[in-house]
Amino acid sequence: MYERPVSGLEAKTKSRSRVIVLSVNGETHEVMVRPRHRLIDVIRDQLNLTGTKDGCQSGTCGACTVLLNGRPVLACLTLAVDCDGKEVRTIEGLAENGQLNKVQEAFLDQGAIQCGFCTPGMVMSATALLDDNPKPSRHQIDKALEGNLCRCTGYNAIVDAVLQASGQGGVKPVMK
Amino acid sequence: MDQGLNFIGKSFKRKDGPDKVTGRAAYTQDIRLPNMLVGRVLRSPHPHARIVRIDTAKAKALAGVKAVITAADTKGIKHGFVETPRYPADQSVLAQGKVRHVGEAIAAVAAIDEITAQRALEAIEIEYEILPAVFEPEAAMQPGAPEIHPSHPKVAMKENWANIGGKTETGWGDVEKGFAESDYVREDRFDCQLRTHGYLEPHVTLAHWEAEKLNVWTSSMGAFVKRAKLAKTLDLPFAAVRIHKSYVGGTFGGKIDLYPHEYAAARLAMITGRPVKIVITREEIFQAFRHAQPLIIEVKTGVKKDGTILAQEMKVINNSGAYRGSGVVVIFLAWGFTMTAYRIPNLKFQGYSVYTNLTERAPQRGHGNPKVRFAIESQMDMIAEALGLDPIQIRLKNARDAWEQLPNGDNTHQAGLKDCIKIAAERSGLLAKYGQSRKNPPADTIRRGVGIGISSYMGGTLIYPNGSGVIVKMNDDGSATVLTGAIDIGQGSETVIAQIVAEELGIGMEDVRLISSDTDTTPQDIGAWISGMTYVTGNAARVAAGNAREKLLALGADRLGLEVSELGFGNKSVFAKANPDLKITYRELIAASIATKRGDTVIGEGFWRTMRDEPAHPSLATAKGRWTENYAYSAQVAEVEVDLETGKARLVKALTVHDCGFPINPALVKGQVDGQVSMALGHAFMEEILIKDGYVLNPTWLDYRMPTVHELALSEDVDVITEKYQVGKAYRTKEVGEGLVSGILAAIGNAIYDATGVRLHSTPFSADKILAGLRKIERQKRQAAE
Ligand code: FES
Ligand code: FES
Repeated sequence: MYERPVSGLEAKTKSRSRVIVLSVNGETHEVMVRPRHRLIDVIRDQLNLTGTKDGCQSGTCGACTVLLNGRPVLACLTLAVDCDGKEVRTIEGLAENGQLNKVQEAFLDQGAIQCGFCTPGMVMSATALLDDNPKPSRHQIDKALEGNLCRCTGYNAIVDAVLQASGQGGVKPVMK
Repeated sequence: MDQGLNFIGKSFKRKDGPDKVTGRAAYTQDIRLPNMLVGRVLRSPHPHARIVRIDTAKAKALAGVKAVITAADTKGIKHGFVETPRYPADQSVLAQGKVRHVGEAIAAVAAIDEITAQRALEAIEIEYEILPAVFEPEAAMQPGAPEIHPSHPKVAMKENWANIGGKTETGWGDVEKGFAESDYVREDRFDCQLRTHGYLEPHVTLAHWEAEKLNVWTSSMGAFVKRAKLAKTLDLPFAAVRIHKSYVGGTFGGKIDLYPHEYAAARLAMITGRPVKIVITREEIFQAFRHAQPLIIEVKTGVKKDGTILAQEMKVINNSGAYRGSGVVVIFLAWGFTMTAYRIPNLKFQGYSVYTNLTERAPQRGHGNPKVRFAIESQMDMIAEALGLDPIQIRLKNARDAWEQLPNGDNTHQAGLKDCIKIAAERSGLLAKYGQSRKNPPADTIRRGVGIGISSYMGGTLIYPNGSGVIVKMNDDGSATVLTGAIDIGQGSETVIAQIVAEELGIGMEDVRLISSDTDTTPQDIGAWISGMTYVTGNAARVAAGNAREKLLALGADRLGLEVSELGFGNKSVFAKANPDLKITYRELIAASIATKRGDTVIGEGFWRTMRDEPAHPSLATAKGRWTENYAYSAQVAEVEVDLETGKARLVKALTVHDCGFPINPALVKGQVDGQVSMALGHAFMEEILIKDGYVLNPTWLDYRMPTVHELALSEDVDVITEKYQVGKAYRTKEVGEGLVSGILAAIGNAIYDATGVRLHSTPFSADKILAGLRKIERQKRQAAE
């Protein structure tokens, strides 16, 4: 039987690419990935969800934090193929019907944002914490945010924002 | 603060907050264009070498490679952080003939994807002739050291040192006489580690040639500086270069001036006719990009018994890296930061900027001030102790007063330094705590200590483009569109400018929209890198909004049949002062103007330049000429805890008392204070770029530790308000975004001494150094006992 010759390009693509299915912020996406692709590549480059930030590409800054099946992960260290069939939530998916979640609101109220580059990752880590533990202790907050670097704020306003979002500590909004 | 202000002095939320907290804000790394190519930069693997041959043929022949450039493809036009007759431009956009540090850019490629671009870099053949290299400034100064560049001719005429990029020499009085008359003289030497800025967003540049224009998006702190440098090196008219706005993920000094990848993206885009984006990796930033300025400071101070400074002699040596960079600026600044805080009747200052085979330097928040204050404030405490004075007394004795005329012709105006010191002492209870740990050591191994440091900082000075313009356009509904070249790097410039415009026009914050930081559509702006944004651009915004308000009032006078002097404004309307019910809204005024006055549109324009009558910035070599009209002052207290067993110290609490004039947005000011305290504790305890033979050993955040949430220090601040805001009048705010990394660093050093008796002369205050100091004290005690 005659077999059509496979071009070099096709061979490469066929042997190494595969389709995975992801639910991202409630939408189902089928994406074609190669083994080397990371979740951050899919989110930012293929799905154009650029709210997830790339600060170091090496798992050291936390800017790329997203939720995978509800747990915070570093999208730059997560292989895309390992996310097949899983649920991903990014910063773009937190607000519901245009209503910010309480962590987002608290970040605005407390002045926890300066350059804003750490903000998406920081908000995702804090959201995951509060989903899991609505009234975290200060120590638990520190543990949850320890992988997220912020160079601008000194973390003071960020911790206040998490306390506000969890209804603790009597932290009032500082900004109008 | 003036009563009756609706917007100034209030903590409005950031204008850009909602975009940033939802992921909508587009940073340069998020922007992509159709048909975009990937650019990469080839960097030197050697600290010092001659380039014997470059062959790009193989790289060019690779499928998918669209362009390869080396110095041969440039116009050979040099640029420099400083470009003056004394210090002409000294850097090539791509290495020409020689590389002088590891990571120096030699070539760049544009290809269809990242892998192809990487393969292209690997296919470029370069033959090097390795040259001897030198990394320590004091070694590089020695006659006969490997020559990186010839010493500056003006220095070489008189001194035999090698590799001198520039020198600042200045002073007054007679220091020898001052020392002779002193009751106590001491000399100390301080030095510090190499640190980096640590902006979270890496450097990224996207360039595209379209409609006979180069369009550029780049992570920067001053669009107009970028335009000037790109136009110059590409030999293009300014009108052919447009820097677009994008959000910026932190800068701290490390994104001003021109970087090779910015030139490369632009040139490659011009050659290929396609957009080219270059994303710099974190490792590249650590290895090849500009870091801060490590200084060696030798300071000799003579005082009277009561602590009054009679004379001071300072020698500062800066490891400036392979090019002049901001190295010749920091030695000038070191003088400035020395003379503004304390009165020094006799001063001799010498600063040397020395070439080494490391990356050239950039400013870093505070630009030398942390090191200067660390040296002077540490020595102040040592002098006080020797004389039996307390740290507050000696500082109050020497602190500059309000309205002092400084030796350079500047005036301190309403300097609040003494108030800062007094309030800091009171609030912290410093005098009650100071010395306790050493006098009555507790039984356990944890020691607490307290220390103070003061500092001063200039706010805005004359650096290209020297001033800022702002345009306020009134819209038909009474809202305003503001055109400003200011760039919001996180400090909150857009929010502050909106507050000023809202106040001056009597409209709401929600009525103000900004178009910012775009060299084609917004007026020139001084940029967010010399601590002058709120003062310079803010005053320009005030003038522009005031100009629009005057036009509205003139229209109102016409409509209401009154004199302008009889009118008030507010709530988007003009009203009769005598009868506030007699009013007309801006909307109605503009509609009437369109109907009956040919609709002369209401546009206000404003411009502000600091030191209007000064022709240029002061001489970097002699320090002659005025520097700034806005000195900010502060006093900071650190409370630390030291574990005697491990030697580990940590900052427990920081108190910052500062005179920023007045805060336009107190919450934004607090954000600056907290951020600086955090950065200073990184300097004090954690951060150090380790270099061996010119290679960075720790080019990741795993090994270069920056403060995390675990290092959060309690940070309290008090604003000593010395100025006020009045609608329609020029105001004087002082900077609050840079100077506060300095006093607190010194305070931490002094607090460690207070806790342990260990006096450290170099940063970081590592556990090793503290343990060594403790052991030395033990040894001395034993020897004394024997
Ligand atoms: S980008 Fe993933 S941790 Fe920094
Ligand atoms: S706000 Fe800039 S890094 Fe956190």
